[in-house]
Amino acid sequence: MTGPRTPAPRDESSWAKPIERLATTATGASADTVTGKRVSGPLQGFGQLWQKTFLIRVPADEHQPEAVVAHWKEHFPTFWPEGATFYAPLSGIQPGEVALLEVPPVPGSPVKMSTGIMVIYADRESFTFMTPEGHALSAWITFSAYCDGDDTVAQAQALERTADPLIELSYLFGANRANDAFWEQTLTNLARSLGVAAPVVETTKVCVDKRRQWKYIRNVRFSPAVHMATSTVMLPVRMVRRRKS
Amino acid sequence: MTDRLTVEVVPATDGEVRLALRGDVNLAADEALAEGYAEAARANATRVVLDFADVEYINSTGIALIVRLLAEARRDHREVVALGLTDHYREIFRITRLSDYLTIAESSATSIPEETAR
Repeated sequence: MTGPRTPAPRDESSWAKPIERLATTATGASADTVTGKRVSGPLQGFGQLWQKTFLIRVPADEHQPEAVVAHWKEHFPTFWPEGATFYAPLSGIQPGEVALLEVPPVPGSPVKMSTGIMVIYADRESFTFMTPEGHALSAWITFSAYCDGDDTVAQAQALERTADPLIELSYLFGANRANDAFWEQTLTNLARSLGVAAPVVETTKVCVDKRRQWKYIRNVRFSPAVHMATSTVMLPVRMVRRRKS
Repeated sequence: MTDRLTVEVVPATDGEVRLALRGDVNLAADEALAEGYAEAARANATRVVLDFADVEYINSTGIALIVRLLAEARRDHREVVALGLTDHYREIFRITRLSDYLTIAESSATSIPEETAR
């Protein structure tokens, strides 16, 4: 005889299943720097903790929140600014899936940083990405939509720390603003795809914790900055080897 | 159907304050959770116990609010204990690595912690 069954939590299918190490089904990226890594959220990062909110408004009578989120998920890669590429996993933005990314370290740079994200949560009203070790940021980014009066608000909210001291330094010298511009452009592109002719992105930034977490200074061993520098220095060696083989 | 979060602040002894959460931890929980933590801070709590016994639903926005609360507690040198989590949410706390930063207790804040924050 069995006892009464506990009903499954209503959000069970929205969360990623537990895994130790990441693996991806995404293809097309020049490098996979994510497989085998662990996720690393804002609590595991080095730099100051920021909460950044970017939002746009669209008419609610034309676009209901669930429809906006479905549209956002389906066409997510197309909203990214030029020069950045999102390689979606085979089944799209679903809990537990891992996407690969190629992003310029600074806007306009011909060099691309290879990284990824894990979809930690997805339902009809929102979806959330968590960054892996080796990403420039240790972050938790939620994309959602909700009603606010006559508007449907589409929002990207990031809770983020830079992952290591080198990236934190770059943030002090402009990368933080460049990161804001990235999301502002993404929201602008989303709004345009929903028929807004002149989108206005509302941005709110709050520094939740000004302190740096020095216990995570060793994150530098995964730093994309170090990886990129090493790759650049080793480029001639790789070219010679390739020519010989 | 959603159930808006309420937070009852229950002062205990030895600098401990328990936040008894009732309802859903989602976007709408922001104010209640922030106010609960602020009240614990005003009471000079050294340990904040988040009691999830009457919480049935936490979505990713809710987890973000807890991440933020944890960051604030670390900034303010306060220990955080999670109490009354179901197995499902214990698993979520592990996946999201929240469990690195708080103690997950079985049934009472004063009982021996099942998992201790590193």
